Order: sequence, then C-alpha cells, then structure tokens
Amino acid sequence: MSTTLIPIAAPADRPPPRPGSGRRPGGLRRRRALTGLAYASPTAALVAVFFLLPIGLVGWMSLHRWPLLGQPEFNAPANYTAVPGDDLVRGAARFTVAYTVLMTAILVVVAVGLALLVQQRRRGVGFFRTAFLLPMAVGFATASLLFLGMLSDEIGPVTRALAALGIVDGYVSWTSGSATSASASAVVLVVWRFAGFTMLIVLTGLQAIPTDLYEAARLDGAGPWQTFRRITLPLLRRTLALVLTLTITGSLLAFDQFWILTRGGPDNSTTSLVMVLYRKAFIELDLGSAAAVSVLLLLVLVAVNVVQLGALRGRSR
Amino acid sequence: MTGTQTTARRGYAVTGSALAILFLFPLLWSGWASVRTDTGFGLENYDRLFASANGIRPRHVLNSVTVSALTVGGTLLVSTLGGYAFGRFRFPGREVLFLLTLAILMVPYATILIALYVLLGWLGLADSLVGLSVVLVMFQLPFAVFMMRNSFAAVPAELEESAQLDGCGSLATLARVMLPAVRPGLVTVGLFAFVTSWSEFFAPLILLNSTDKFTTTLAVVNMRTASHGSIDYAALEAGVVVMAAPCLLLFAVMQRSYVRGFTTGAVKG
Amino acid sequence: MTPRFGRRAAGGLAVALLLAPAACGADDPPGAVGTAGAARTAGVDDGSTLTLWTRAATESVSRAYAEAYNATHDNTVQVTAYPNEEYPAKLASAAGARALPDLFATDVVFAPQYASQGLWRDVTDSFAALAVKRAVAPAHVRAGTWRDRNYAVPHTIDMSVLLYNKELYARAGLDPARPPATLAEFAQHARRIDQLGGDVHGTYFGGNCGGCVEFTFWPSVWAAGGEVLTADGSASTVDSAEMAAVFSLYRRLYEDGVAAPASKDEAGPTWLGALKTGKVGIAPAPSVWLGLIEEAGVELGVAPITGIDGGESTFVGGDAIGIGATTGKAAQAWDFLAWTMSDEAQVEVVAKRKGVPTRTDLASNRYSSADPRIVTINRLMAKGRTPYAKNFNASFNDPQSPWLRTVRGALFGDTATALSEGNAAITRSLQQG
Repeated sequence: MSTTLIPIAAPADRPPPRPGSGRRPGGLRRRRALTGLAYASPTAALVAVFFLLPIGLVGWMSLHRWPLLGQPEFNAPANYTAVPGDDLVRGAARFTVAYTVLMTAILVVVAVGLALLVQQRRRGVGFFRTAFLLPMAVGFATASLLFLGMLSDEIGPVTRALAALGIVDGYVSWTSGSATSASASAVVLVVWRFAGFTMLIVLTGLQAIPTDLYEAARLDGAGPWQTFRRITLPLLRRTLALVLTLTITGSLLAFDQFWILTRGGPDNSTTSLVMVLYRKAFIELDLGSAAAVSVLLLLVLVAVNVVQLGALRGRSR
Repeated sequence: MTGTQTTARRGYAVTGSALAILFLFPLLWSGWASVRTDTGFGLENYDRLFASANGIRPRHVLNSVTVSALTVGGTLLVSTLGGYAFGRFRFPGREVLFLLTLAILMVPYATILIALYVLLGWLGLADSLVGLSVVLVMFQLPFAVFMMRNSFAAVPAELEESAQLDGCGSLATLARVMLPAVRPGLVTVGLFAFVTSWSEFFAPLILLNSTDKFTTTLAVVNMRTASHGSIDYAALEAGVVVMAAPCLLLFAVMQRSYVRGFTTGAVKG
Repeated sequence: MTPRFGRRAAGGLAVALLLAPAACGADDPPGAVGTAGAARTAGVDDGSTLTLWTRAATESVSRAYAEAYNATHDNTVQVTAYPNEEYPAKLASAAGARALPDLFATDVVFAPQYASQGLWRDVTDSFAALAVKRAVAPAHVRAGTWRDRNYAVPHTIDMSVLLYNKELYARAGLDPARPPATLAEFAQHARRIDQLGGDVHGTYFGGNCGGCVEFTFWPSVWAAGGEVLTADGSASTVDSAEMAAVFSLYRRLYEDGVAAPASKDEAGPTWLGALKTGKVGIAPAPSVWLGLIEEAGVELGVAPITGIDGGESTFVGGDAIGIGATTGKAAQAWDFLAWTMSDEAQVEVVAKRKGVPTRTDLASNRYSSADPRIVTINRLMAKGRTPYAKNFNASFNDPQSPWLRTVRGALFGDTATALSEGNAAITRSLQQG
C-alpha cells in the first residue's frame, strides 16, 4: 500500500507474469516493450510534432532578429543580453515571483483547510464539497470575465454591499484603484477558481493516511494540532509536492487573470512575465526577444520544479 | 462532552456553510445579473447576446460543441493508450517521454502559438476546427496522461494476469478488463478536457480565421468591446452564464465519478 | 502552407496581370509599360471572395461597406471582426505564418508600424492613379506611408471633440448655444456645472488609458502651436510647455473634484457608459459617440477642442485599411478599396450613418447638412492631425507604455519628474528596433 503521487515515481516493480505461456522471458519482455511503445506512440507523436518542434523553433528564433515577414538575421546572444537591462522584464519578474510566493502560500493553506473540513464524514459534507468544486467547472477566461463584472462599479455587488455597510465611500475601482486591490482581485479570482481542485488533490492524499495512525495518536493524548504536525503533514509530503508544482508553475505563467482583470495596471504593478512576453511578440513585433524570454522562463520553471521535487522526495520516510 | 460536541458540530456547520456560500456566490450572482435589466428582470440581455450584430449564433455553439467533442475524444484516446503504456509497460524512453509530456505544462501559449499556427498551415489544418482540437488535445496531455497513468497503475496486477491467462492480448485486456477498472479516471479526464476546451479563448482566437468557425467564447469576448470599445456588462454576464451552464450541468451530473477518479486514480491499494 | 501558398499567390497575380490587358483593349500589346501600369492600378471585379479583418469596435462600419459593395459588384467581401485588445496578436500571428487576409483594417496609429513591417502591399501607383486622391484624408494617408510609399488608405474617421450636455448647461446658467472657445473657458464651464452638486460632475477623462488621453489632450497642445512628436516620429516632445499647461489644467480639475473621481481609473471600456449617464457636463470624447449618447436620452452639443488660449484642433483617429501582403488577390482587393473612397460609398454608406466621410471634399453632403453639428465635426478634419510614429502603439497606446506612466505621473503624481523622465523613456521606446 504505497501512494504514487510524484510524477517521477515509477509504478512499483511487479514480477513478470508467470511463465505459463512457455515462451522465453527475454522475448516476452521485448514483446511487451514493443507493445508499450506502440501504445505510447500517439502520445509521442503529439508531443514530438506539436510540442518539441515548436519549442525547437522558439529556441532557434531566440538566436535571431526575427521580423514578421522578412528574413531573420542571426544575432545571438543579443536577445538574451538585453533581458537584464529591460525595465519592464525586471519589474514583471519581481512582481511574478512575489505573486507566485503569495499565491502558493494562500492556495496551499486554503486547500488543506478545505480538505480537512470536507474529509470528515458528516452531514452536508457532500454539499460543501460540491460548492468548493463547482468553480472548477467554469473556464478560466469565463471566470475572469465573471469577476470583471462582479468587481465593476456598474453592476457589481461588491462595491454596493461594502458601501451599504459603510466600509467604502463612493466610487472604488477594485481592479485598477491601487496595486494592492488589483493584486488582491487577481488572487481572489484564482483562489476561487482553483481552491476546489487543489483541495481534491490534498483530499486524496489525506485519505491515503491510515486511520489507525490517528487512533494511536489519540490514545497517546495528542491534540489536533500535534496530530496535524506530526502525522498528517509528513505523510502529505508527496501530495504537497504535486500541489506546489502545479501552483508554482501556474503562477509563474499567470496571464489570463491579469490580462482580463487588471491589464497589468495600475501603473504596471500587476504586469506578469507572460504579459511582457506577449507584448514583445505581438506589440513590439520583436519575436526574437520574446523567444529569448520564453526560453529563460522555461529554464527557470524546469529548474524550480526539479529542485522542488528533489527536495521533497529526498525526505520520504 | 455532548455540549462541546454540539458546539463543535455547529461550528463546523457554520464554517462550512459560510465558505460554501462564499464559493457559490459569484456563480449565483452572475446568473442573477444576467437576467437583471433596467426595468427589473427579463431576458433582454440574452436577447442582445444572441441577436445583436456581433453576438452569438447557433453556428458558434455548434462549433464549440464540435471542438469540445473532438478534444474530449482525442484526449481520451491518446491518454488512455498512453496511460496504459506508462502505467503497465516498461519500454525504453518511458520516463523521458512522460517527463516531456508533463513539460507541456511549463510553456505558456504566447510562446508557441505562432509556431503552431505555421505548423498547422503546413499540415493543411489552418483555420480548421480539427487543427484547433489537435492543439487543445496536446495541451490536455499533461493532466490527462498523468491521471490515466496513475489510474492504470492502480489496477491490481491479478486482473490483468487473469485476462492474460484467458488468452487475451493486450488490446483485449485493455478493452475488457482495464477500461472498466479505470472508468472514474476516464470521467475525470473527459470532464476536464470538456471544461477547458469549451471555454478556451486564446487558441481559437489565433488559430481560427473565419467568423463562421468561431466558438462561443470568441463571440462573447467580442461583445466585450464591440460598441466602440465600451463594455456591455449585462450582456457579458449573460455570456458568462451561457458558457458556464453546460460545464456546470455536466459537472453536477458526473460529480461522483469525478471525485472517485481522483481517489482511486491517485492512490494505489 | 508556405510553399503552396506562395505558388498560388504568384499564379494568381500572373493570371490577373495577363487578363487585365485583355480587358483594357487590344491597343497596347501586353507587357507594355502603359498596360502593365493600368493593370497594376485598376481594380479587378471578377467574382472573387475577399477576406477582410477588422476590430470589433469598427465591425459595424466595415460590414456596412461590405454589404453595399457586395450588392453592386461581382466580388464578395467577407468581414471577420476580432476583439480589440487581442487584434494585434491576431495580425502578428497571421503575418508570422504568412497567412494574412486579403484586406485588413487597423487603428490608424498602428499604420506606420504595419507599413514599415511590410504587412500591407504597396499601393502607391494605384493610389496615385485615383482622381480623388488629393481629397482623401491626408492625415490618414500619411499615416499609411512608409519611406514615401503608400500602404494604406482611410477606412473610418473618428475625431476628438468636446461634447457638452445642453440640459446641464442650461441648469447651470450657461448658454447651451455658446460652447467654450478656449480650454480655460472649458474649465470654467466645467466648474460651474460641477457646482450643481449631487452626482453631477463637470467633466470626465480616461486617466488610466494612454490612448484616451492622447486622443483628448493632444489637440489642445496642437491648437496652441505645440508639438508632441517630431515629424518622423523618432523623438517625443511631451515635456513641452504647452503639454505641461494642459496637464496642469486637467490636474487641477481632478484635484478640485470637478472631474469625476472615476476618471482616475478609467481605462477606456467604461468611458462611454459614464458619458451616457447624462451626469457629465462637458468632456472631450470621440465624435462617433454623438449618436450613441443621444440614444441614451442626453441632448448634446458639439464643439472643437481648443487650446488654453484659443485655437482649434482635433486628433484624426479611426481606422486605416490596406491589402494584406500575402494575398493573391491584390487587384480585386484594390477594387474594393478604390470603391470605398468613391462618392457613392462615402455618401451613401458613411455619411448616411452619420459617420465622417474620409474625403475632405464631401464634408458637406446631403446627409450632413441635416445636422449642423455633423458639419462642425466634418470640417474639423482639415484642422486635425494624426500623429506618426513607427513604434506608436508600444510607446503610447499599450497599457504598459511609457506614455501611460507619464500621464499617471503628470495627473496624479509629480508632474515635473513625470514629464521629463517620461519624455526620455518615450523617446527611447520610439527609437527601438
């Protein structure tokens, strides 16, 4: 009974099927390998043609000055050396990292909290779970448009409700009034949309923890917080690794929420790295530079995930 | 003891309900706002959404349905075969391919969209719903293959072996024995693929050219700034409801399988 | 797509060139300069289907053009509209894939960039052969010019004017028939109206929108004889005394509460809505909103935007349109373009819908004379300007542009630093690439 949640972990080795077929084990293994390859080939084809090929092209583009319709000229490493000096990129990098840390912390805490709430078998837990998961059924672009309306001054209830309670006075713009409120709007949107999904992942990890461990702890007189710290958290390590991977990657690549809700404002305070990438490619029409930023971003993501997974895996019991 | 138990239970109920209301509120509000007009309530926002010159047409809905169906079908096919391979076979390059598939998560749209556009052109799939679906399937692969791999890996070895003893080849084993066993995983993957492809915005924008191929999402976002750059919020919320409704419905119907897909898929034993 | 498309494009053009001389008559042998010139400059109406891309904001006009053209010609123009904010990305992707449409329209301030990138075909000769060429909005034509070659022609015209609420004017004791003649007077009128109190405000502007501010403030600078850009768009001069004076005027209006507080966060999408409420006294705004706001029941007067001490000017905005560089139907596409600049199109399609004709000689036509305000607007085109810069969008319109930072600093922060630092940043951006 082991959990297999870390992407890199292979399914546990099983003994080869009983040699009842009378064929040599070596030949059988090779046949199985070939069969496996055959089944994996559609995936391999899609990945190779629609992912690796474009990525290769992007890498190639990052070494050139690449006009939209003209001939590209080789200019490496100019696109890369220009990146540190680019104010917009630096500002966006600072913001994106800060946002990632904030978002990850909030989402993990909320997801774990919700999972603990929903884990118990009480009345109404099904209803709660549905309520938390329902936002997942709405596409992210749709959710962003929803929040755009909800936080608006024209038809949104938020300003009206807070005004009725006397907390705000007159006109307030949540998505572009101040850096804080703009970031907060985006954070609330993302938490609303993804807390349920993350909760589900944590839930599955929680359910893998044998209940007799909790029994033993209770008999030993451990309080709820101690149980959580000494038993739940360590056993959730692999689940949390997955959650962290998804959240960190998603936050570093954040785009939709800022594009639709805040447009990077006010005053570039919520401009994310992918927004800068988009601007370079489609507004400044500098495809080579955009490609360079993409490559750097990809490398950072790979590095972060490798480090993070390694650190969490290394400490398994 | 009973006193604290009741307070604990009540505290639980209150917290849970409060959170549930908070989570449900935006969806409920959006439905309410979409039927709210200057003079009270009515369906005129939906009217504007569908009847205005750049509103949604039945064509758009049909396109969305087509793209979603193709994406779900394609995703299920590729991820089932792939998950089967990764979960139950050993072959050279398995780890590498799996990691590469997951790496798709780490690349934003803006990066490879132009390259994909060119690629689809070479393959004769430019400005086509099929080409768009193929791209969307690719973006679904990380989650789908991961889920299916874990689902397949969680199937007890005995099931597979007994099928083999009965003389089934791998395909028959897959069809007769494995598929039913991983059904919750399939539901999860299918649902996820549907929700994402139904409300996908950026990929259809770039990869589709003709208005009659547009999906519902594109039409709704077009409404966002149609009147000389000003937003029609009420029609926008009506659009949000139209886009969210099918997904919510499907989700409500399949919820149990969806949750089970996670619990049985991610955990073995 | 590239090899096949390229061959098809070459083939199509070759066929067009071969057929055109035959249609022109047997006098000149094919290949002679005269005939080839005629083939290049004449449009071809042979029943082709042409794709036209436009922004969502311009869709209704593009469709009106297309419908009128399709009804009277063999060619068929099909219009596709894209969301405004994402339209540049759409064009860039199509260009990168060498799959641009036959025709595409774009905000006129983008025209120099697209012309310099070669996204449109060179139409210099065709345009020069037009009889009406001198009357076609010179500001737009210049915007679509790169290195003395023409690439785009005007599609729609949208100018900035002062729109004032006649009812509020009357209530405040001002004469609704006498709009302000100077910007200083505009500020006075706005203050008077603001004193009406309640939720009425004197004026409104787009304080979080670079495009809105340039559209509405720059005419005041031009009217005073100032400049915001060098003529070739390679350097910015927004730190001029005239610009500083205009910013200072609006800043005081905002700080005194005369401009609605929502102006600070107005990024554009809710600007029209704010004016439609009928609670704004007088504000600079796009001329095309005249009809839209009146539909909401507000009675409006129109006046040109003035300089601090007088003078009039306007920002001649709107859309420019050109032939996609990768098309195989350039001659047919030109047939449509040439038609859009004809009397028939400008009067029956544009003027009839209360739009501004792109031909200066049609400013007074049988539809415009019905409403003197329309005549006022149309006549402004001669006094207006369209700024020209290759990197205009990245420097001025984009939400991440240095111009927006300058605007925010000048209106809500430290004006002096904002203007001097901003000017340097904008100049750097203009010279990039």
